[in-house]
Amino acid sequence: MTYKYEDGTMALRDVDLSIERGEKVAIVGPNGAGKSTLLNLVAGFRMPFSGRVLIEGRELNHENADELRSEVGLVFQDPEDQIFMPTVEEDVAFGPRNLGLDDIDARVTRALRSAGIEGLAKRRPHRLSYGMKKRVAIAGILAMEPEMLLLDEPTSGLDPRARLELVKLLREMDKTMLIATHDLEAAAEIVDRAVVLNVSVVMEGTMSDIVMSKKVLQDAGLELPPVSKLFDAMGRMGYPVDSLPVSMDQAVAELTRVIDREAKRTSELRGPGNPRSDRKSRQSDARGNGD
Amino acid sequence: MHVPDGLMDPLVALIGLLEFLAFITAASYLGSKRLQDKQLPRIALLSAGIFVAQMLNFPIGGGTTGHLIGAALFAILVGPALAVVGMTVVLIIQALMFGDGGITSFGLNAINMAVIAPLTGWGVYHLLEPMLGRSGISGKNIAVGAAAWASVFVAAAACAAELAVSYAISGGAYGIAATVSIPAMLGYHAVIGVGEAVITVGVIAYLWDVSADSFLSKDERLKNRAIWGRITSSKTLQASLAVLVVFALALPLYFLYSSEGMDGLERTMDDAGIEEENAMLASPFGYGESYFAVLFAGVIGFVAVALIALGLLRAIGSTKFRE
Amino acid sequence: MIITHVRGHSALRERDEDLDTSWFSQLDPRVKIVGVFSFVVVAALLTRPEGVTIALTAAIALAAASRVSAKRLIVAYAAAFPFVALASASIFLFSGWDRGLTMLARTSSCVIPLLVLALGTETFDLFSGLRRLKVPGMITTLLMLTFRFLLLLSDELERMKVSRQARGFRGGRSLLDRYGLRVLSFTAGMVLVRASARADRVYEGLRCKAFRKDMIPWRTSSVRSRDMAFLACLAIVAGVLAAVQYEVLF
Repeated sequence: MTYKYEDGTMALRDVDLSIERGEKVAIVGPNGAGKSTLLNLVAGFRMPFSGRVLIEGRELNHENADELRSEVGLVFQDPEDQIFMPTVEEDVAFGPRNLGLDDIDARVTRALRSAGIEGLAKRRPHRLSYGMKKRVAIAGILAMEPEMLLLDEPTSGLDPRARLELVKLLREMDKTMLIATHDLEAAAEIVDRAVVLNVSVVMEGTMSDIVMSKKVLQDAGLELPPVSKLFDAMGRMGYPVDSLPVSMDQAVAELTRVIDREAKRTSELRGPGNPRSDRKSRQSDARGNGD
Repeated sequence: MHVPDGLMDPLVALIGLLEFLAFITAASYLGSKRLQDKQLPRIALLSAGIFVAQMLNFPIGGGTTGHLIGAALFAILVGPALAVVGMTVVLIIQALMFGDGGITSFGLNAINMAVIAPLTGWGVYHLLEPMLGRSGISGKNIAVGAAAWASVFVAAAACAAELAVSYAISGGAYGIAATVSIPAMLGYHAVIGVGEAVITVGVIAYLWDVSADSFLSKDERLKNRAIWGRITSSKTLQASLAVLVVFALALPLYFLYSSEGMDGLERTMDDAGIEEENAMLASPFGYGESYFAVLFAGVIGFVAVALIALGLLRAIGSTKFRE
Repeated sequence: MIITHVRGHSALRERDEDLDTSWFSQLDPRVKIVGVFSFVVVAALLTRPEGVTIALTAAIALAAASRVSAKRLIVAYAAAFPFVALASASIFLFSGWDRGLTMLARTSSCVIPLLVLALGTETFDLFSGLRRLKVPGMITTLLMLTFRFLLLLSDELERMKVSRQARGFRGGRSLLDRYGLRVLSFTAGMVLVRASARADRVYEGLRCKAFRKDMIPWRTSSVRSRDMAFLACLAIVAGVLAAVQYEVLF
């Protein structure tokens, strides 16, 4: 897919991105980087100024936008804008019903189960917590069984526990996903591949690659997650940190490795000598490498 | 101006309903093409806005308050066809969910507030705008204000006339006597209309200032003007408009005259006597001689409406064709 | 000072989770709409005081039987009352008290069933019922969207009101207060502009769920025996009313 988009000010420039079936990709970037614009383009709400969007080999245009949109389910940042019907069940059934699909009840049950909200079927969405509303919005899209999910800032506005649960849900969900977020930590948990976007694509790679390239992050105005910062600082202090973990799981794994390495190293270096000065010299080494 | 159920004479209500159905059919047909993608949520939003505005009362002094109708605002912002549809939606919600206005009187309420009011507003605006628009912003504002005032006033006149007709043909079982309804409705709404005008001018000035295209794009505004051009240049339409205006103006005057004259006096005298009993006991469809007069009036009204609708269809059809 | 009329809004807002499970709210919405509308039409045609009295009694009986919250019904009725009272009062003044009372009873016997219908039915059910009764999709879709945006607008309005008061605005006392009315109309404009962005978003949200300009009736309720019983009851009442009107009874 290639698209260029212009709206007075340039929102996206020369973005070229392709997503394989079953792949989970994150678009990370600061506010105003064009993440939402990109999602809106893929969902066919806007048409690229130049270039094109291909979905399963079909080019998106004004005529087929409605039809193709049910293949790419866009989940809004604000679930309040996406929930329409008076009960959860009806809201989830809304999409399949519009598509004229059969066996709606089964689809609704499946979607509710995938979103982890089986128990809420009869509830009123506007009385649910924000996190639950997000799940209702996701279930509403899942019920249409799209090929792909487009998620706009899925973790924003959630309290820590709701965020954690949603991340787990998305990680375990077997779906092609394109996630726009500035939450690097969540992105690292969910996706295999990430794209740093700041009007144009700045970098593409795994999340750990992205976290390691500080210059890119700085230029894109992104802040490292606290865990990564911690390991970054440790690295500067001279601990043998190989990669910057982004999520807690990675951090635990990395920390064990670091401890192992550090233990090995200290046993090698055991003997006369001041460990403190030793560490200082390593720290300057790390700085040198950083440049 | 929301007439509840049971106030209007059934026959008047029925005629109103038929006329309304003719208008809403034409308006839906004309509006359906424009109600695509972007327009649908905007129209619904304006309907919601006007619903809210009708609940906000503004004071007119002396402890009384009035509320907006918003029909002129709607018509100037989105054009006549969609304004008719949108105002109808507002009225349906009011009637169904809040008991403001009723089921049997829905046709009349809709004719007054969802057809006459927006069409008057739109017509007056497009009549004045070419004359005043040249003198800049203030000229435009005057056109908008005049349109808003006229829309309220004319709708109130129509409502008063309907009440008076109901009273006259039912022998007092329904409606309100012309001597009361016409001066009261017109006087009250002449004042209310000023508030409506000031607020409509303010809202439209703001919207045109901030986001001129948010409700009606430039092409559509130009198209609107083209339609207006067709209307003013078409002889059939001019004639039918003239008939309608004369009809609308003459009807209240006629009833005012007839109820103040001998007829009215006789009626009040009769009311106290045996005649009243008969009127009360009569079946709602037993109008006697006056039945034919009303039927005649209704038929004329219906034909005028049908003519205008046809003329509009033709005028708009031909503008489309030329493009 | 701007007074917002409560107008039965509070009655609507208070509705929550367990919208009652009474028989009335579980009737097929189409049946309710047809039944209530027919009753209103018949009641509006009555001219004899006896008939009107029976109609009013029937309307109140319906309200009582439907188990709609009495408080909400009274609030809603009070909100609709000015329209009823205005007509009755003028009749009362110019045609005598008996006609005035007849008018009051007649309009009330039409308004009450409508309010019972509105309060005892979920709004979306009402719209879906209308759609299934072949009201054009354009109208019902607009109704649905308009209803949804009402909530959106009242949010925005509340926010604007707070911010205006925070800046010490207290205008709009009379029609002569041009400044106040200007602020008022600018507020209205601003609310519209701000809400229109969100309105578009909500609509895009619908289109994400394959919505195509027409609301597909989503509740597949069917007419059951109790629906028929409800209609039959109303038909009997209507028959009695007609008989009274045409002097077969009394």
